Amino acid sequence: MANPVDPAQTSPPSTSPSPAPATQQSTDMSSQQPPSQPPQPSNGASKPAKPPKQPKSKDAPPAAGGAPGEEKLSPAELKKKAKAEKAARRAKERAEREASGGAGAGPGPNAAPPKKGSTGGGAGGKEAPGQPYKSQRHRRGSATQASATEQKKKQEDKNVAVFGHLYGQPRRTTIAGAGKEVHPAVLALGLQMRDYVVCGSSARCVATLLAFKRVIEAYTTPLGTSLSRHLTTHLSHQITYLSTCRPLSISQGNAIRALKLAISSIDPSVPEASAKATLSDFIDNFIREKITVADQVIATSAAEKIQDGDVIVTFAGSSIVKQTLLTAYKQGKKFRVSIIDSRPLFEGKNLARTLANAGLEVQYSLVNGISHAIKDATKVFLGAHAMTSNGRLYSRVGTALVAMSAKERAGGVEVPVIVCCETVKFTDRVALDSIVVNEIADADELVPSQPLKQVTGLPDPADEADTKKGDSKKGGNKAAANAPPAESTPLPEGASPLTNWKETPNLQLLNIMYDVTPAEYVDMVVTEMGSLPPSAVPIVHRMSTNL
Amino acid sequence: MPSTSMALTPGLASFLRSLKTNPIDTSIDNLISLLKRRQIRHSRSCATATAYLLLRVISACRTSDAAKLIERVQSVGRRLVAAQPKEMVVGNIVRRVLGLIRDEAEDDREADFNLSEASESQPQTPRALDGSDRGSSRPPLSQPAPISMFSLLSHPEPETSLPGTPASASPSGRLLGHVQSKDVRAEVLEGVNEIIDELGQVDDQIAAYALDHIHSNEIILTHTSSTTVQKFLLKAAAKRKFTVIHAESYPNNHEATHATVSGNSTGDEEILSTESFQKPLIALGITVILIPDSAVFALMSRVNKVILGTHSVLANGGLVASAGTRVIARAAKVHQTPVVVVSGVYKLSPVYPFDFDSLIEYGDSSNVIGYEDGDLVDQIDVQNPLYDYVPAELIDLYITNLGGHAPSYLYRIVSDHYRKEDISF
Repeated sequence: MANPVDPAQTSPPSTSPSPAPATQQSTDMSSQQPPSQPPQPSNGASKPAKPPKQPKSKDAPPAAGGAPGEEKLSPAELKKKAKAEKAARRAKERAEREASGGAGAGPGPNAAPPKKGSTGGGAGGKEAPGQPYKSQRHRRGSATQASATEQKKKQEDKNVAVFGHLYGQPRRTTIAGAGKEVHPAVLALGLQMRDYVVCGSSARCVATLLAFKRVIEAYTTPLGTSLSRHLTTHLSHQITYLSTCRPLSISQGNAIRALKLAISSIDPSVPEASAKATLSDFIDNFIREKITVADQVIATSAAEKIQDGDVIVTFAGSSIVKQTLLTAYKQGKKFRVSIIDSRPLFEGKNLARTLANAGLEVQYSLVNGISHAIKDATKVFLGAHAMTSNGRLYSRVGTALVAMSAKERAGGVEVPVIVCCETVKFTDRVALDSIVVNEIADADELVPSQPLKQVTGLPDPADEADTKKGDSKKGGNKAAANAPPAESTPLPEGASPLTNWKETPNLQLLNIMYDVTPAEYVDMVVTEMGSLPPSAVPIVHRMSTNL
Repeated sequence: MPSTSMALTPGLASFLRSLKTNPIDTSIDNLISLLKRRQIRHSRSCATATAYLLLRVISACRTSDAAKLIERVQSVGRRLVAAQPKEMVVGNIVRRVLGLIRDEAEDDREADFNLSEASESQPQTPRALDGSDRGSSRPPLSQPAPISMFSLLSHPEPETSLPGTPASASPSGRLLGHVQSKDVRAEVLEGVNEIIDELGQVDDQIAAYALDHIHSNEIILTHTSSTTVQKFLLKAAAKRKFTVIHAESYPNNHEATHATVSGNSTGDEEILSTESFQKPLIALGITVILIPDSAVFALMSRVNKVILGTHSVLANGGLVASAGTRVIARAAKVHQTPVVVVSGVYKLSPVYPFDFDSLIEYGDSSNVIGYEDGDLVDQIDVQNPLYDYVPAELIDLYITNLGGHAPSYLYRIVSDHYRKEDISF
């Protein structure tokens, strides 16, 4: 929960009074994105297609190109249209902005490598071939269009067919191309969410609300509109930006819906200052009621379920489970915790560290050890990303395996599975399996990072190999299509065999974020409204939304 | 250990190389230490090493007395098994060899008995003779053959070796006449060589059944990198198009899995030396989707069949396989997806598991939490099980080199391959 503070701190203007917030915001924008300003090319007519492709060029270097880029843009725009009320106008604004931002493509790749370096070195190697190739395309223009379409076909090949509906726009990599109305706090939050700095359903929800609070504080109603009408639109830009960084969580959606409702219910005659104060209060109350206090209530009532001598199994790192366990420990209960973790996020590590530092007895294993960890378990505590209306638990991928193992233990004794979930995470969506509703994360996260290398003055052999490949690819990608180039170019020592997976035909990597646990595996859902069976989820959801 | 120092990395290849030059006791000690230090792992490597060692032990044993031979093999076998009780194939191979010796010795004595049984075993002979199905030659090994009558007439009692591995068992078309002059030892050596041959061919034999089980447009889920499974899938891929979902089995075998999937092996594991020349599935146009182990449940609803490799198979139909297999099998059961286990008969162990925990080996916990999280390692208990026990009810079908079997039928194959008196040798 410390995370939500970060976006707030990164935005200077919000504390200042707002005599001329519009100008302030624009100056702030320029300070946030210095790299996008200098180029300023005026050939705006053809340019708008470029920057939206920016994220794609990182995710799949081969995919970018002239015409296909525009094709790619239109479905994405359609999606935005559905969300924003004034899509046409905004698109125009956007186009203007991007025209002025011009070759935002230039700073794009430059901004990307530091991020990749921090998340995965294996993928970091890919940046090197991407850059020279890209700059070359800029020079050649349409000459490479044919090869670009060919490459695009290959890139789409990497999407797992069953999950085809979930591959939307690739996640945004930079803040370049974001609309000028996007508040810096939101800009920062978007990147934090994309990098899993702010991760977890509740944390993202709180962080979003806090960022929106700043947005509202910095907002002035333009002439000729009313706050209750225009602010919703203004927020929509922020929301659209956030959702391009990472798809919004159910809790974020619920919170935003509540906030929009609050905005639209403000009487237009109310002066702006007091309206904004009302909204700030609303946000504070919402966070307190739905998350902070709710968490305390849940932790207390879930901790009651823990008894001396229990062995609690949990999966990945849920903040509410952490709070529950710490609460129970503070109550003097003696129990053991077994954490099961999974690749690629290893969220359980943080949980293990926190609990161990607090003094609990912690056992840690990965997904392969589920059946061993569950053997001594007496209770399973799970966090939730959401609870669907048909009583299923939608949570970090792997949760279903843990719940299933708990229910089918060989001894015949079932281990109770207890889900801790705030009602803000309840949704009226239904899901039968994990394929209908899910989120696809960047598959490169699965490529194991290279072991740390000693820093010497010598050129990195990995880079050499990569640039060599980049050169050969320039000549023509026919060779790449026929034979996996990974075989021809020797991989650097210690590199993962998956390093070149995108160039390897027929090989796909799938990195889904969530799975759906059948309702029969869940014995109890602990919410701030009490402990319920999973079948009660739709009733509670209706109650809490009608309030 | 002089032999290990001369090879680059101690392992199966260096052991086999040193076997020819080293004295027999050194070789035994060498293998024991290799097993203890887990420098030979994987069922097949262990089985091959054991078989070669026993071959050497028997050939060095200058006796034709079967009882002495049995005693010698038993003592070596006990030491090997004690060195690594969790590698059950070692015991299996020792039992097979012991069974061989006993058969050779007893064939003669039971000649009269054989006569009555001869008619039963005959129908099996022509089937095995065609050579395409070498696996079926195993049961006759333990079964007396009609030709033993010859030796009954030609040889006096104790000395005699009967062609206990009758013509049907050797694809080389060994004639009855050749066999007669050989002693027990030569016969046994022949039999051990056949076991070694079987170890080499078992994957291809299993793969021969692939087309019966994999059909067009199926989605197959598999786990970790097993040569047997890969060959099975490759065989089917030659004729049919299907999709493979491959769980990576992090953290113990993910690198090998990644290499198998992508077809570029960076690791220079000598055990994989033969496999590394093998084409990856993707080269045959098969779409391979690599997923983390945690996504198995999420994808299981779209999977048509789960094909698993195994570490060893137990007589009750359960199996010991790499960690994570159990949840996969369980998830498949929940989704009513058939689970097929491919395994050579040599992995089939006559052990009935009563204490499952004793079967499980725990691995290096630094694979789970690396040294960069050293502070964490001090505070928490990190577990890294290498194997899972999968109960028989989660398995729908076993495919061995003898064909497909229900888990409940395995005890029958066990009794075909091992003799009662050798089960706890």
